[in-house]
Amino acid sequence: MNNFHTASLEVGTLVESLLFYELWNEYISWSLLIGIFTFGWLFHHSFWYTSKEGEDWENPDKIEVGVFPRHNDDMTLEVAWTILPFILIIYLTYISWAPLDAVWTSENGGNHGFECTEGQSSNNQMDMNTGIITSDCYHVLEITGKQWVWSFECNPNDDRWTGDIIPDRGFELSTNLCDIGTISIEGYGMQPLLSLKAGETYLAVMQSEDVTHAPWVQILGVKEDVQPSHKTTLWLPMIEASESMILCTEYCGDAHSLMSAGLSVHN
Amino acid sequence: MSGDYHGDDDHEHQSAWGPHDWSHGAPHNSWAPIIMSIGIGIFLYTVASAYSWGEMVDPSSIPLIFLGLTISFFGMIIWWRQDASFDGIYEPRATGTPFQNIQIRKVAMWMFLMSEMMVFTSLFSTYMRYRLGLTPCVEIYESGSWIVNSQTIDSGEAVNCFLPASELIASSWFHIAPGAINTFALIISSFTIVQALRWAKKPVGSVDEEVRRKRVYRYLGSTWILAIIFLTLKMVEWFVGFYIPEIGFLGLHEHDIVSLVNEGYTIHADHYHPHHGWEDTHLAELAAANPSEFEEYFANIASIEGGYVTTDAVMMADIRVSTSTFFVTTGTHGAHVFIGIIGLTYMTWKAWTGGYTPQNAVSIEYFGLYWHFVDLIWVLVFPFFYLY
Amino acid sequence: MNKTKIHARSIIVMSILLLAMAFSPLVSSFPTGISGVKDSGCNCHGATTSESVIPTIEGLPEVYNYSETYELTVGFTGGPSTIGNINLGGFHLWASEGELASNDATVQRYNPSEVGHTEIGNDQTSWTLIWTAPASDKNIEFILHTNSVNGNAGGGAGSSGDEWNRLTAKVSAPIEVLEQANPYVVLSTLIVISAILLVITVTYIFYRTNPDSFNWKTFEPWICEWLTSTDHKKVGTLYFLAGLFFLGVGGIMALMIRIQLSVPGNDFLTQDQYNQFFTLHGTTMIFLAAMPLINGFANWMVPLQIGAPDLALPRINAMSFWLQPVGALLIFTGVFSGTGADTGWTGYAPYIVSETAHVGTTMWVAGQIMLVASSTLTGVNFLTTIAVMRAPGMGWMQMPLFTWSILVANLMLFLSIPAFGVGLVQVYLDRVIGTAFYDAGSGGDPLLWSHLFWYFGHPEVYVVIVPAFGVISEVIATSARRTVFGYRSMVYAMAGIGVVSFIVYGHHMFTSGMSPTLRFVTMLTTMLVAVPTGIKIFNWLKTMHRGSLVYRTHTLWALGFLVTFTLGGISGMFFPSMAMDLHFHESYFVVAHFHYVLVGGTVFGFFSAIYYWFPKMTGRMLDERLGVLHFLTAFISYNGVFWPMHRLGVWGMARRHHTYFISTEEAMGSLPAEAAGWNMFISVSAFLFFFSNFLLIANMIKSVIRGKKAPADPWGGWSFEWMTSSPPPTPSFGHFNHGEWIDLPTLKDSNEEHIGNDPSPLVKWFQSLMVLDDENEEVNN
Repeated sequence: MNNFHTASLEVGTLVESLLFYELWNEYISWSLLIGIFTFGWLFHHSFWYTSKEGEDWENPDKIEVGVFPRHNDDMTLEVAWTILPFILIIYLTYISWAPLDAVWTSENGGNHGFECTEGQSSNNQMDMNTGIITSDCYHVLEITGKQWVWSFECNPNDDRWTGDIIPDRGFELSTNLCDIGTISIEGYGMQPLLSLKAGETYLAVMQSEDVTHAPWVQILGVKEDVQPSHKTTLWLPMIEASESMILCTEYCGDAHSLMSAGLSVHN
Repeated sequence: MSGDYHGDDDHEHQSAWGPHDWSHGAPHNSWAPIIMSIGIGIFLYTVASAYSWGEMVDPSSIPLIFLGLTISFFGMIIWWRQDASFDGIYEPRATGTPFQNIQIRKVAMWMFLMSEMMVFTSLFSTYMRYRLGLTPCVEIYESGSWIVNSQTIDSGEAVNCFLPASELIASSWFHIAPGAINTFALIISSFTIVQALRWAKKPVGSVDEEVRRKRVYRYLGSTWILAIIFLTLKMVEWFVGFYIPEIGFLGLHEHDIVSLVNEGYTIHADHYHPHHGWEDTHLAELAAANPSEFEEYFANIASIEGGYVTTDAVMMADIRVSTSTFFVTTGTHGAHVFIGIIGLTYMTWKAWTGGYTPQNAVSIEYFGLYWHFVDLIWVLVFPFFYLY
Repeated sequence: MNKTKIHARSIIVMSILLLAMAFSPLVSSFPTGISGVKDSGCNCHGATTSESVIPTIEGLPEVYNYSETYELTVGFTGGPSTIGNINLGGFHLWASEGELASNDATVQRYNPSEVGHTEIGNDQTSWTLIWTAPASDKNIEFILHTNSVNGNAGGGAGSSGDEWNRLTAKVSAPIEVLEQANPYVVLSTLIVISAILLVITVTYIFYRTNPDSFNWKTFEPWICEWLTSTDHKKVGTLYFLAGLFFLGVGGIMALMIRIQLSVPGNDFLTQDQYNQFFTLHGTTMIFLAAMPLINGFANWMVPLQIGAPDLALPRINAMSFWLQPVGALLIFTGVFSGTGADTGWTGYAPYIVSETAHVGTTMWVAGQIMLVASSTLTGVNFLTTIAVMRAPGMGWMQMPLFTWSILVANLMLFLSIPAFGVGLVQVYLDRVIGTAFYDAGSGGDPLLWSHLFWYFGHPEVYVVIVPAFGVISEVIATSARRTVFGYRSMVYAMAGIGVVSFIVYGHHMFTSGMSPTLRFVTMLTTMLVAVPTGIKIFNWLKTMHRGSLVYRTHTLWALGFLVTFTLGGISGMFFPSMAMDLHFHESYFVVAHFHYVLVGGTVFGFFSAIYYWFPKMTGRMLDERLGVLHFLTAFISYNGVFWPMHRLGVWGMARRHHTYFISTEEAMGSLPAEAAGWNMFISVSAFLFFFSNFLLIANMIKSVIRGKKAPADPWGGWSFEWMTSSPPPTPSFGHFNHGEWIDLPTLKDSNEEHIGNDPSPLVKWFQSLMVLDDENEEVNN
């Protein structure tokens, strides 16, 4: 499975999420199967059961203007292609189910444990069969969106009156774990840069100052909206060192497409 | 594709502007749709040009708003002129199940009411989202958090919270009086419209035609008047307010009932504080119960004299969401009443000319369906927005 | 005054009013002030420019050198600003090219093309900053706004008595370059040219049908007939023409979008223009092209298929139509003055109610309110017609499938569109009178809009696709000369799609921060959609089994539909899997998917319908050879446009971005290098696809003028529309005689158990609830 992972990088993709590719492969195989079946059927019938304009043809269903023609149905077949796709989608739902824990955030428990104490490392482990990453604990950082810049905060403050889910952790993350800088990206100009450490998992707690935005962490293939009305959260489990971009993927106005940031992951 | 305007089925067609012959079962040509559409377009366009975020940005568009309304009204008159000749004989009836033998337009009215139902459902969803989702102002006030966050009249910062209009309206019998009277007005008007239908439907011969004419237009007229009362009282409640003098023998004391808008309950109320209430009278008790929370506050702002807090702090609230939901939901209902009044005006006029016979009495029924629906909606709006 | 004169004058007055609405710039859309962006600048103090303030800009070369950095000094003299005030002034500078940067703490950069003063910098009257010239040849424009401030108070209220002015400066490239075309002008010109072509075509058709009396006296009743007609066939034709016209307009916008995206970092459109173009492309295609095309055929065919004389409410039907062109004008007004809606067709709150959204957004919302009204009336009309006006012998289960699809579509539409209408009215009121439904600052919830919108939006996309199912069912069955396989399961599948459509909309909001429980539920229900859709596809394939398929143009389009729609359906299955959707959301994978179902589904379905029913509508056959050519060119180029988009989406190309940059050895970008080539390929294919459709237009014009006369039943269909002449008479069936329709056709049935209009037990129970009008009911009262 890891072979496929590297292979997919060679064709030029920027997404490195094994979780995504595991699902993608499964879906593509089923799609191919259904595609071959349907198109094979269509191809066969389009050339097998044909006739020419004006040619004689049998009229099995008694088609005649103003007369509702003979029914042409077969209960067994119709039930069959109700049940079989149903079974398939149950299976697809089932395989889409397991990764939900990996993409949904909860304050405690789940795949990524509790928030790290000072000096503790997430110690990320990736299941090579499913692409699901589990960690001992996670670090909280804050992402704020506003028209049209991203800003990051490694050590967010607690605000008890708005009922924030960010607990007051009482220490600061080392710059090795989380750092903020700037980076010049061609076409985008100077943009903020978030530096994270490979092997660590981060929980981004996000809010917007004006309208809806959504950071697309391309390398992980994840995004989540940033709302002005409430906080949203996003897991960022880092595995390998890389440099990639964060784009805005919820339309936010004039400079929407230039609202970006760099993400650098180091060992 | 070519138009056969002078085709042979056109001999009874009089004009696209005026009355047309119903013997075809349906009107053939009408200028009303295109004219009304243009009028509505101009109206929406000019309103949006004239106002922006609640401020008038272009006064020159105001006359054009009325131009738009006039054009729509002109289109409606064309529609009515074509409709006035309808005598009911040619009303088509349904052929398919399950509505067999029912007038087509009655079925259409039911269908229309289905979509109206969804309109009010959406408005109620909005209301429920905000009513259940936002913290009630009273709760914030009682928690005292606004003091710690200094969201007071002095700091000029406001709390986001939900203040239902019922807090003001249900505060006294006099405040609730317009809404209560309106409820009865609408219910009675549902009765009068049914009476109009009953008299119009009486078989020819069983009643003197002059009596029929008078009864029908009087019942329709009463419905019209009740609807006008409804809207008038609504305006009083929203904008005007009223005054109750001292009437000794009834035991009434002098009351000056302030309208919602004068109370400050407007869609722009981002710094709302009621004229009375929301002063920190509870603070002493709160402080006693929960001293640690208020430590900072006591240190900075308040002075304590003999265990009693003296401060003039008054909570400020941004209640624009609450007011918007209130005014737009009740306003949408009011707009339905207004449309009803326009229809009733036409129908009363037609009844006055003796236009209703048992054969076309069913038109009153179509309107009645709509009118009962509006009444029914009010029965939901009233408790949700006025009582609780 | 005779009738002709009245009509002539009223037509002229109406045309002037409509033109005025289209071209009079929105009063506030060319703000004399400034606000945040180039046209609407910094917080403008005061309403109009002031002559006494003289802005200056120094340090600009006449001709720039590539990539050279210039230090500019901007400032002003005059106005109320005097030394000793708390604040002196402010500025905002916009440059069309190159990069602006701040030099010191008094200047801040909003984005590479805009700078302004900072809090610290507002006690100055001149500021210095840095501008880096571009590395290519451009004519560059600078727009400078300056405020002269009298410093009377702090805060927002302190701007009274201040004055401001504007200055425009130009810098030329080292080599002389042509001025770039303004895309708005291009778009407006193309729209106007299309409209003129449409008028010429109409006039030409009028001339050809009546060459001897080509004068106003005969033209007047002809045009008045079209403007006032309530005949379902005429209104249907109007819908059809409007739909085709806007399909072209939306296509022009798509082409301009594709020019912009053909190479990385392109600047054919500015971001601002691009935002408006994709917004209007979406709105136009869904509401002004697809829906009218569907309504055109529904208007034409539903009464014919159920054997009814006309729709139940003909005048309401005309009203539904005429609301659309006026609504369309409102939607487009903003564009003509350069500030069209820039919210995306979804118009997400709170952006749609923020002041950064263009003023044209209000008009766009107003126009859509009219379209909502139109759709509601259409829904009422069709549901009533289909429920009550079926010819004798035609029970629910004997209706042709196209009629069924229109019934299901209108039921979905009219139960969902009020939610959208209410949302739009709320937004309109927010923007116009200042309510706070979606103002996040006052506690308004952006998700409420998303819920209202998608509660409508998802059924809406099924509203657009389900009628295409109906068309394909008719076409495949007729072409294969068989009954459609499993008529009943087709109906149940369609109804199933209608029911499911209301509970799946949450999948548009997987990333919105909506409650996880709701997300999980919608994930399950969304998967379910595949079942009824699969049933339909398999039924169509089985219909061909042991049939005698005749290849006509509409057959080709129907087979093409099967291919593209199946592909679109398969790619749709990727989205409910949430872990994948987190990547796909707002990417080109989504764009590819919905174009596969909307173009490959709806548009191909209705192209098929055009070839199928055109002979019935006009009485003329279309040219089959042109039709086949149209199919081949359009089908191939269409797949060239949208198939590569799947890959682009997986790579990470974001939707609604006006440009993209590729990753190279030296620089980081968001896409791999191959993406550039594929984008160019897509753009070229898009042009081919657009122009291939002119074959259809040419075919139709040719056929109307000198096509072969069509027989009543050219293809061998069974339903009622093939019974009348081509084109059908008015009223379409029967005669009206004292409250009763007589001479209506009766549907026969070759099956043994024909139920027709006999009520079922359920219907009997329902009828027992209804009070029928009984003449003797109130004798005693």
